[in-house]
Amino acid sequence: MCGIAGLIYHSPALYSSLGSTLLALIQPLESRGPDSCGIALYSDQITAGQVKLLLHGTEATPWQQVHPWLEQAVRIVQRRDVPQGLQLTVDLSHSTFDPVRFKQELHQQFPSLHVVSIGQSLEIYKATGSVESLSRKYGLSSFSGSHGIGHTRMATESVVDTHHSHPFTSSYDLSLVHNGQVSNYYKLRFQLERMGAVFETQNDSEALAHYIHYQLLQGKSLEAALHQLLQDVDGTYTFLVATGDKVALVRDKFAAKPAVIYETENQVAIVSEYRALLTLPGFDPAATIREPGAGEVNIWSVTPSTMPTRTLVSQ
Amino acid sequence: MTQGTTQQTRSEPLPETVIDCSELTTRDINQALRDHAAAGTEAVTLLNPAGRHNLAVGLASPMRIAIQGPVGYYCGGLSDGITLDIEGNCGWSVGENLMSGQICVKGSASANAAATARGGTICVLGNAGPRAGISLKGATLIVRGNAGPSSAFMMQQGRLIICGDAGENLGDSIYDGEIFVGGRVASLGADARFEPMTDSDWTMLTSTLAPFDIAAQEYDFKKIVCAKELYHFKAREFSKWKDAY
Repeated sequence: MCGIAGLIYHSPALYSSLGSTLLALIQPLESRGPDSCGIALYSDQITAGQVKLLLHGTEATPWQQVHPWLEQAVRIVQRRDVPQGLQLTVDLSHSTFDPVRFKQELHQQFPSLHVVSIGQSLEIYKATGSVESLSRKYGLSSFSGSHGIGHTRMATESVVDTHHSHPFTSSYDLSLVHNGQVSNYYKLRFQLERMGAVFETQNDSEALAHYIHYQLLQGKSLEAALHQLLQDVDGTYTFLVATGDKVALVRDKFAAKPAVIYETENQVAIVSEYRALLTLPGFDPAATIREPGAGEVNIWSVTPSTMPTRTLVSQ
Repeated sequence: MTQGTTQQTRSEPLPETVIDCSELTTRDINQALRDHAAAGTEAVTLLNPAGRHNLAVGLASPMRIAIQGPVGYYCGGLSDGITLDIEGNCGWSVGENLMSGQICVKGSASANAAATARGGTICVLGNAGPRAGISLKGATLIVRGNAGPSSAFMMQQGRLIICGDAGENLGDSIYDGEIFVGGRVASLGADARFEPMTDSDWTMLTSTLAPFDIAAQEYDFKKIVCAKELYHFKAREFSKWKDAY
């Protein structure tokens, strides 16, 4: 059992409440997952050609040595200290930056350091412990942005630590939160590793993120990638995957894990359980609440005036 | 035990019959309901349920309960003889393992409505989610709207009446009992088959649905029962087993 939540704003007037609202949505879901929690937040605030990098270390991380190493590895435009980590804005316009190689070299040099997220708009914050402590640790309640996904974890398949908690990422601006189990995880992992994916944890949910990234690299649309996933991934899953401008909700063909969808003109909220919606500012109790069907893929675009695409798996 | 001592332990009906859930733990709410039932209170109203799980669970004495709003998982489960009205939607497994009594959901129900219910009637006036009536063991589950995929999965006894449409794999691996569908059946599961409707089926449907203001004649009911072809394993029928859900 885990809790998942997603929030998509269609109106920029709501952007300033993204952090506080997403945290409020996952807080009641702590009862579904008390081990760890995390959120992936999307804000479009940086210049073209630049990316945001979030690094997470431990108390043992030798930051004095990390800084000079980073200076020679990438062109740093901005640097901000975060608890046990570092947020960098990096200029990639005049360099050939390979995120996979960068991650590997960084991890080789400083084994205690992990790249939590890379992207133009994505920032991932996750930790063991409560939602309240996560929010306080990183000051997330004032985070402004267009969309985000969140998770509360009850570990069933792998160890409880920050890196095994959700959201997972596998590429620029791609994040994923999952409730369920992937039963053909080892087979999937073996296949994806042969295609070049570099796994960083033993968590089965990470395989979903790599799988989607791989399908997108083949030139598939997000929708096509997710339909292919329904065919290739066994197990129970209700998961949310977010990109720079979309959020998708996927439910396995047995509808084994819950989700409810609340949709108004200005925003969409997806949560594991109805009661979590009651924390949503301006929640209309009379509104129609919908559940995703078995084998259903829902995709919402962040830009206004687009209707969600809702498609069923071909039987 | 003399009648006198019985009267002493059985205190006067409690005057307060409205319980506001917002300031109470779920344990406190269910204990208060038990206390009311023991005191002979006839009807209790719960306010502000706020989608909370496990409300009105494990009540073994007859009492009328009205819940004013949406509830979470397992509402009314494991109860015996209660009459429960839910003025809103409900989460997973409403009326799970109900022994007797009646639960009426005015909104829609999520997955596993009436799971393993042994007796009584559970009526969902909206739609029901996946696996409605899973492993039903003798109760009657009525869904006025549509029911999701895999409804009546491994049903053993009782009745599932769906006035609207039924999702894929209806009655998969059913052992016994009767399913009635007023709308379209997306597909039948392994070992479920259609059977002609009889006059006594229509009489039963008319009388069972009438208390919920549903007119059976307005629907084109079809009956589904167990084909009983999978009761015993035969190697030559392996494909039927392999295709089971």
